[in-house]
Amino acid sequence: MKFKGVTLNARTAVYLCLAVAFLIPLGMDPDGYLLRIVSMVVLFAAMAQAWNIVGGLANQLSLGHAAFFGLGAYTSTLLFIRQGISPWAGMLAGGVVAAVAMLLLSIPLFRLRGHYFALATLAFAEVLKIIAIHFADLTEGPTGITIPYGEPSFANFQFESNTSYYVVIVALFAVVSLIFWKLSTGAMGFRLRAIRENEQAAEVSGIDTYRIKLGTSMVSAFTMGMCGTVYAQFTYFFDPESIFSMTGISVRVALICIIGGMGRLWGPLIGACILIPLDEIAVNTMSDVAGLGPFVTSVILIAAIIYEPRGLISAWERLRRRAQKKHAAQSGQAAGAV
Amino acid sequence: MLLEIKDLCAGYGAAPVLHNVSLSVDSGETVSVLGANTAGKSTLLRSISGITPVRRGSIKFDGHELIDMNGKDIPKLGIGHVPEGRHVFPKMSVVDNLWMGAFCKRKDKKLAERMDGIMQMFPRLRERASQLAGTLSGGEQQMVAIGRALMSNPKLLLLDEPSHGLAPVVVDEVHEAIVRIAKSGVAVLLVEQNAALALQVASRGMVLQSGHAVLEGTAAELAANPDVRKAYLGI
Ligand SMILES: Nc1ncnc2c1ncn2[C@@H]1O[C@H](COP(=O)(O)OP(=O)(O)OP(=O)(O)O)[C@@H](O)[C@H]1O
Ligand SMILES: [Mg+2]
Repeated sequence: MKFKGVTLNARTAVYLCLAVAFLIPLGMDPDGYLLRIVSMVVLFAAMAQAWNIVGGLANQLSLGHAAFFGLGAYTSTLLFIRQGISPWAGMLAGGVVAAVAMLLLSIPLFRLRGHYFALATLAFAEVLKIIAIHFADLTEGPTGITIPYGEPSFANFQFESNTSYYVVIVALFAVVSLIFWKLSTGAMGFRLRAIRENEQAAEVSGIDTYRIKLGTSMVSAFTMGMCGTVYAQFTYFFDPESIFSMTGISVRVALICIIGGMGRLWGPLIGACILIPLDEIAVNTMSDVAGLGPFVTSVILIAAIIYEPRGLISAWERLRRRAQKKHAAQSGQAAGAV
Repeated sequence: MLLEIKDLCAGYGAAPVLHNVSLSVDSGETVSVLGANTAGKSTLLRSISGITPVRRGSIKFDGHELIDMNGKDIPKLGIGHVPEGRHVFPKMSVVDNLWMGAFCKRKDKKLAERMDGIMQMFPRLRERASQLAGTLSGGEQQMVAIGRALMSNPKLLLLDEPSHGLAPVVVDEVHEAIVRIAKSGVAVLLVEQNAALALQVASRGMVLQSGHAVLEGTAAELAANPDVRKAYLGI
């Protein structure tokens, strides 16, 4: 494509479209339903990207990332309510708490392999849920926590307009994605790829598999904790059931990655763009019959996985390869004609 | 001595697998370790590479004490390890698999030369240089694993049952390669279930039994030993 002397290749064109797509919601009605859904899509993309760091890059499938999400939300919110500490600082504190929790959980876990990680993280999130319900003195118990609405200010992480929250959420997605990208390229990318493909071969090639898996899982927990803080500030309310939810958070972020493309930079965004609106439509249009909504979404997701087991991002790549081949054939013909 | 192991106790948790094992390998020498299943042969090799979680005693290699060293630093010193069971990176090409073997020495300028040497040793790998390693035959995968270990230019090569589960023709091929590697001056510590083959290739050997070193000697001595003949050579 040639435009005023500037040659646009397909890649830059896609990135430009993407940038424009991220800008469109800035023009949406700040109090509207649509902006809220778009914000949720990007927030879940950020959460799924956090999961992707350990699930996609280190191939350690967590089914309990709600644990780290909830730890982030509780840490920053309690620090804010009880101590008046800015949620921005609380977000980092929440990340640290989540990362340390992952460290303590992982020390026994990485000696065991495979499914143990999934089961242990799942159990860990459930245990935290029960703790949050029963230790009401600390956590306000099953009723949950409402963040008091004070003077909107940047320091308080409270904004007048939902558009500002959208900007924060996009920035969060960008940060988590940047971390993912940094880890997936260069020497670290090779180490992680080796671990993913064959751990024993990686070990004898001088790769410290234990420490690298531990490190990536802690980074993943840290970023998931940050997402928890942003979620809490965005919704102003959460309770143990929703924040530590297995279906609502843990399985959902894993599914988003699997549908979109595990271990791929754009997988979480693609997955979130499909799964979150799908759930929303199911809730809004099919709630008359109990269980119909989840049934329909499950069928669609199963179909997607059967059709594209390596994520919908590979469907996109196939399309692109086909286009390239066609292009090459055409230019070949053109050259032949001359 | 290139490798000198003294009173090594090693294992994975509370109960040790190896009990006071001592063993030495001289530069350029081929030593073979015999033993029944679960005797601790793989654990011995994994301890030298620093992969087993618990190690006590002394493992001296080329002037370095390895016993407290992290496994990631050991290949750099010149130890190549071919683990039991044909472990390749299945979705990487043959060439990339070989590169991964030199990951700890990725700034080394002689890598291309070494890759060429390995391709000469295993011409089959040159033919399949860009094929994904996971799609190779068992014998070819074993050659990739051996080639990968050689890419770091080791002084000592640890081979864990390289011929296990391979067709007889391929077993011969792999063993010819081991002989060639040994001739090129690399010391080899060879674990084999096929004792007859192992004692052909090695100059010395050791027998491990339930984590204890019960016998040591030259290959000829071991081959003549009535216990070895009965237990491992089936004579
Ligand atoms: N990762 C591990 N964790 C705990 N125990 C292990 C581990 N690997 C091996 N073991 C135990 O250590 C002992 C020795 O195993 P090892 O693999 O060293 O035996 P081996 O002589 O190589 O046997 P084989 O001929 O079957 O390969 C066995 O009892 C085994 O169960
Ligand atoms: Mg073994």
